[in-house]
Amino acid sequence: MRHIRVENVNKSFDGEIIVDSLNLEIPAGQFFVLLGPSGCGKTTLLRLLAGLDSVDAGRIFLGNEDITYLPINKRRINTVFQQYALFPHLTVFENVAYSLRLKKLSQTVIKEKTHEALKTVRLAGQEFKFPRSLSGGQQQRVALARAIVNEPDVLLLDEPLAALDLKLKEEMMVELIELQDKLKTTFIYVTHDQQEALTVADQIAIMNDKGQIEQMGTPKQIYEFPVSTFVANFVGNNNIIEGALHVHDGNFFVEVEGLGCVSVYISEKFRLIPGCRLFMSIRPEKIFISKKDKQGFSSRLEGKAIEIIYYGHSTNYLVKLKSGKLLRVFEQNEEHFPQEIIDYDDLVYLYFQKENIVLLEH
Amino acid sequence: MIKKLFKNIFLQEAYFWLTCPALLWEICFLYLPVLVLALYSILDYSSGSTAIHLTFEHYQKIFNSLYFKIILNSCVLAIVTATICLFIAYPVAYFLAFKVNKRFRIFLLFLIIIPSWTSLIVQIYAWFFLLEKNGLVSQLLSTLGLFSDSHHLLNNYFSIIVGMVSCFLPFMIFPIYAILERMDKQLLEVSADLGASRYETFKRVVFPLSLPGVYAGVLLVFIPALGEFAIPTLLGGSKRVFWGSIIVDKFLRSRDWRSGAALAIIGILFPALIGLLIYLFNKSINYFKRDKIKIDKTKKAKDNWDFTESNI
Repeated sequence: MRHIRVENVNKSFDGEIIVDSLNLEIPAGQFFVLLGPSGCGKTTLLRLLAGLDSVDAGRIFLGNEDITYLPINKRRINTVFQQYALFPHLTVFENVAYSLRLKKLSQTVIKEKTHEALKTVRLAGQEFKFPRSLSGGQQQRVALARAIVNEPDVLLLDEPLAALDLKLKEEMMVELIELQDKLKTTFIYVTHDQQEALTVADQIAIMNDKGQIEQMGTPKQIYEFPVSTFVANFVGNNNIIEGALHVHDGNFFVEVEGLGCVSVYISEKFRLIPGCRLFMSIRPEKIFISKKDKQGFSSRLEGKAIEIIYYGHSTNYLVKLKSGKLLRVFEQNEEHFPQEIIDYDDLVYLYFQKENIVLLEH
Repeated sequence: MIKKLFKNIFLQEAYFWLTCPALLWEICFLYLPVLVLALYSILDYSSGSTAIHLTFEHYQKIFNSLYFKIILNSCVLAIVTATICLFIAYPVAYFLAFKVNKRFRIFLLFLIIIPSWTSLIVQIYAWFFLLEKNGLVSQLLSTLGLFSDSHHLLNNYFSIIVGMVSCFLPFMIFPIYAILERMDKQLLEVSADLGASRYETFKRVVFPLSLPGVYAGVLLVFIPALGEFAIPTLLGGSKRVFWGSIIVDKFLRSRDWRSGAALAIIGILFPALIGLLIYLFNKSINYFKRDKIKIDKTKKAKDNWDFTESNI
């Protein structure tokens, strides 16, 4: 169990820069997720870590060992590929035993370890089937078993669930979490699906263009306290409102054109200059929607419900404010008979607390 | 009603009608002549009458005489040709499929195909000129001092093999190339990721997966090489006699059509037999594998870990 350190890594293909001086430290023994939009360089980073591609500049460390130029077959890092890439001419058993056979281990050890790995991924009893006769989920498990049988220091997973249907995906996510818990191996998981990332991760790194890390933190930190508009927009649904900061009697307000002032809360670590332009980010589920006058909220905005989508467990409203700005609101359907019925074009009030507003630099 | 019938026969069965010309052609010019040949080889006039009787004497003659040795010679030649072709073609196919970029690949494939567009006789004579006493190769070798008696380059086993290999090489390259080119390249990455060196990856992944292409190539070279007569006759001189050349001899020179027909029929049945053996071999392997899965299922209930070693 060793951590990974990436120092100033550059990589370009055909003159196009994919990863630009990337620095990243991945803690040992954690479920680490690299989350970013398609083409942000996350898969390239994974391939660099695996040794499938070589860096143009920079260094990669596994523990204290410099593995930058260590050939792929000497690295104690294994990969689970998106398309599984099982050997079609080998049985499940032989697929999993592949790396053990290369090590020229004895038959008994190979049998024992292979069965152990197959049991871990709940595939015992399928040893002699060929990959083509397995379902997608089972093939994924074989690929997993094949990668963990060799007890790597780091397991890389390149969008491993992308090819599975939703139900299976959810099941496999839970299994992956349990597997990581059991093995304590460092998992580096690449995905563009923020829901997947929030579900499985201990730590998430949000990647933007050219391999720039926007933010790193626990799923909760990422979701609740995004540090940039990119993160705020990329992870989950969000409402971003632009405004200017003002101070009055030691209280902070953001003046939004056409809406008036919204009082905000500023923690010590933010040093924002009064008068500067900034963004407020507020999650749709943190806004309370009502047609009535309510007390106990720090801010109130007025608008018209222009879109109402009923999801069962919640209802999704799109509210048009006086200024023309659109805000999204999620309301839990807590009661069987809602106390008030909001209909299209109804005049509604949006209430929220200043602590729930996250301020982002312009 | 009639319209519907018309529709059924002439439109819905359109594919059948479309295959008709080819089918007719095959029947008239391939299957019927072969049938005539087969009948010729087993029927003969009884001596002194016009009555026809069944006889296998022409086949017996083959197995009892010098012919058998000639057939054996042809087999050896075909095996040697196929083997040399395989060893030359595999690296070429591998190089084309894995190491060359797409545009250049098309150009190289084109270069490989060009000789096949040339008439076989032209190809043979090209080698004739290259290998003859004052030919390019002989002269080059003697200038380098590697070869003094340039006379021996032509009319021997070497020149036959050179001609055969150069003629059949594309038939070995293409099936192997086709299968390597289609191979999932990610499998190579996985193999390396799991700790395999390039050699191990080739041994355990690339080669086993390319076997269907190798089988196809070997059959495509072996079978025509078995009956080839132009190349051995022209490049091998008159001393060496092969299967194809004695069939030609029987029909055109000694006018012993019945023996010739018997030789030709064996020439057809022999490769078919080899094909059948390969098919049965593969089927038995599959049966063997399926059997193991069945055993495995019965054992699963007991969660028994004791099992026979799986085959690769």
